[in-house]
Amino acid sequence: MREIALKFNSVSKKYRLRYGWYRSIRDEIARIARGLLLKKPDEPNIFWALRDVSFEIMRGETIGLIGANGAGKSTILKILSRVTVPSSGSLSVNGKVGALIEVGAGFHPDLTGRENVYLNGAIMGMRKREIDEKFDQIVGFAEVENFIDTPLKFYSSGMMVRLGFAVAAHIEPEILLVDEVLAVGDTSFQAKCLNKIAELKEQDKTIILVSHAMPSILQHSSRVLWIDHGVVKGFGDPEETVEHYLRTVHEHDASAPEPDESPTSDSPLRILSVIVRNADGHANGSLTFGQLASFELAYKVRRIVDDPVVALTFHDVRGYPLGGLTSRLDGIKLDGSEGTGVVRLILSPVLFTRGTYGVTIAIHDSRIQRYLDMRPRAATFMVDGPSVASREVSGHFVFPHTWEVGPG
Amino acid sequence: MTEPLNPAVGDKQPGLMSDLRELAQHAHLILSFARRDIRAKYKQTLFGVAWAVIQPLSLMVVFTFVFSMFAHVESDGLPYPIFAYSALVFWTFFSLCVSQGTVAMTANANLVRKIYFPRETLLLAVMISAFMDLLIAAVLLVGMFFYYRIGLSWAFLWVIPLLLLQAIFTLALIFLSSSLHVNFRDIGHGLPLLLQLWMFATPVAYPLASVPAWLLPVYMLNPMAGIIDGYRRVLLHGAHPDLNYLAFAFPIAIVGVSLAYLVFKRAERTFADVI
Repeated sequence: MREIALKFNSVSKKYRLRYGWYRSIRDEIARIARGLLLKKPDEPNIFWALRDVSFEIMRGETIGLIGANGAGKSTILKILSRVTVPSSGSLSVNGKVGALIEVGAGFHPDLTGRENVYLNGAIMGMRKREIDEKFDQIVGFAEVENFIDTPLKFYSSGMMVRLGFAVAAHIEPEILLVDEVLAVGDTSFQAKCLNKIAELKEQDKTIILVSHAMPSILQHSSRVLWIDHGVVKGFGDPEETVEHYLRTVHEHDASAPEPDESPTSDSPLRILSVIVRNADGHANGSLTFGQLASFELAYKVRRIVDDPVVALTFHDVRGYPLGGLTSRLDGIKLDGSEGTGVVRLILSPVLFTRGTYGVTIAIHDSRIQRYLDMRPRAATFMVDGPSVASREVSGHFVFPHTWEVGPG
Repeated sequence: MTEPLNPAVGDKQPGLMSDLRELAQHAHLILSFARRDIRAKYKQTLFGVAWAVIQPLSLMVVFTFVFSMFAHVESDGLPYPIFAYSALVFWTFFSLCVSQGTVAMTANANLVRKIYFPRETLLLAVMISAFMDLLIAAVLLVGMFFYYRIGLSWAFLWVIPLLLLQAIFTLALIFLSSSLHVNFRDIGHGLPLLLQLWMFATPVAYPLASVPAWLLPVYMLNPMAGIIDGYRRVLLHGAHPDLNYLAFAFPIAIVGVSLAYLVFKRAERTFADVI
């Protein structure tokens, strides 16, 4: 029987929206006076960051926390790390909470690396003796041995991030909150972070991982908690929850009104729709590694266009471009005469590894001087298949390949 | 479900004792913040720590001209410069603590928004760093004792309880002012003016003896009046401070600081939301 590490009991958090950055006494007096005179307190704009949120997390679990920006993820982290308190409801936390939020927030440029390690460690709740003990490990982890007595302002940003993470990674809490740290630093540093998280998992620590990078979430989480507009939308199996989440995001994107004021609204050519189909012809946004996939683009020509060029750019969940294909380089000609047209790009096979991807579609004039129409993130799709985000390699493709092993 | 869970944040009842226990665990953090503040204050300045002396010293020079030479203000029969400086070093300590303590939360907004730690550590660090300035400024005071050949009596040890009283009062004040400043930045705007007026409502530039008797009951409501006058008595006159005053002020200050601390800890929970 595992014990509960933390528990939210119908936690709500409301913020009062204010005009401007801070209250002034004048506004406050006016508000109170209005309340007294009108016999009803003036209820200013209330924003519920969390509404009646309840969940339980067991010790040793790694929870992926997902949701759109502003959904309430940060509010949950803030409440967990005691930065703020719920407006109503309660929570129980069993163990020391440490947060890898904004690594290095407590750094001061005029202090040396050594002094900053002590300052930042103290801010994160470490005792002096603990820092003394772990000092060499921290410095070693951050790889800044030679600069440890140099003021921080002479550090490169990479060194600063490494030092910040190194301190945070050595606080050894029972419950660790990780907010998007995987998005910072170079690849080798990210690998180090991932290793550290894996190490903590082995030590049966409870980890809450917030990320927009679905592959990281899927790779690490034992369960996924999906927050949407301050309420729990789903909590359970990572694959299912992430898929459900992505489908909602995709539908939401598709239902967004067409930007009529876009610079291309009087363009001679408009993209009508983009459909991603898998090998079975289903357009459910899920593809399989090694099988066919087609990207079907319908467009409408209002005035004749000479040789329009279509370009597809694939990107990862963070929007980082992975590569693209264009009809011009492949010597394909699109029909630019008035009426509607369809162009289909077939990938055979899909070489993306397991994960979530997006595709941006643009149609240019023949000299690639201007966009006729452009749909950033026209479609999102998930690929099922092998994951290469293992300890050994990272990336998004598996190339067709063979191995040859033999005596030299 | 049956396991006992440590009550945390949301349902935690604030208590003075648990707050103090947590604060004690963060003693190292207070010192770290203080070291940072001191370091940062005098980094890349030409005069460095001399600034700690320059502030009370320049006020002393101005006061000597204006009050002593032009207006012929009394100074208890003592040379005016040492009369003024002996009060100014302690007033500067008070004024530094209040001005920096009040804005301590907003000055560290980046931390307050993101990481939890007992916020009062920032205030105590401000006081420690201001105390360092006081020690440096006091070196000049010692020099002036030699220069004016004024003998110190053992009564000067009364400075310690007086400083303690001043520190408690200051802390109570900045518990409240810093909580208010997070919500109402008006406090920060009005503060320099308030401190200036306050100094003139305190016997810094003139002796307590020159305050008319009818005004004294109101005048002495200002805790700093009794404290500043106390420093002069024990340092310059070798006399005891007004013990009636001290016996009265200490319990009030202790109760006051405890209440202010509770208010601060209550306000602290939502600092991150409004800062």
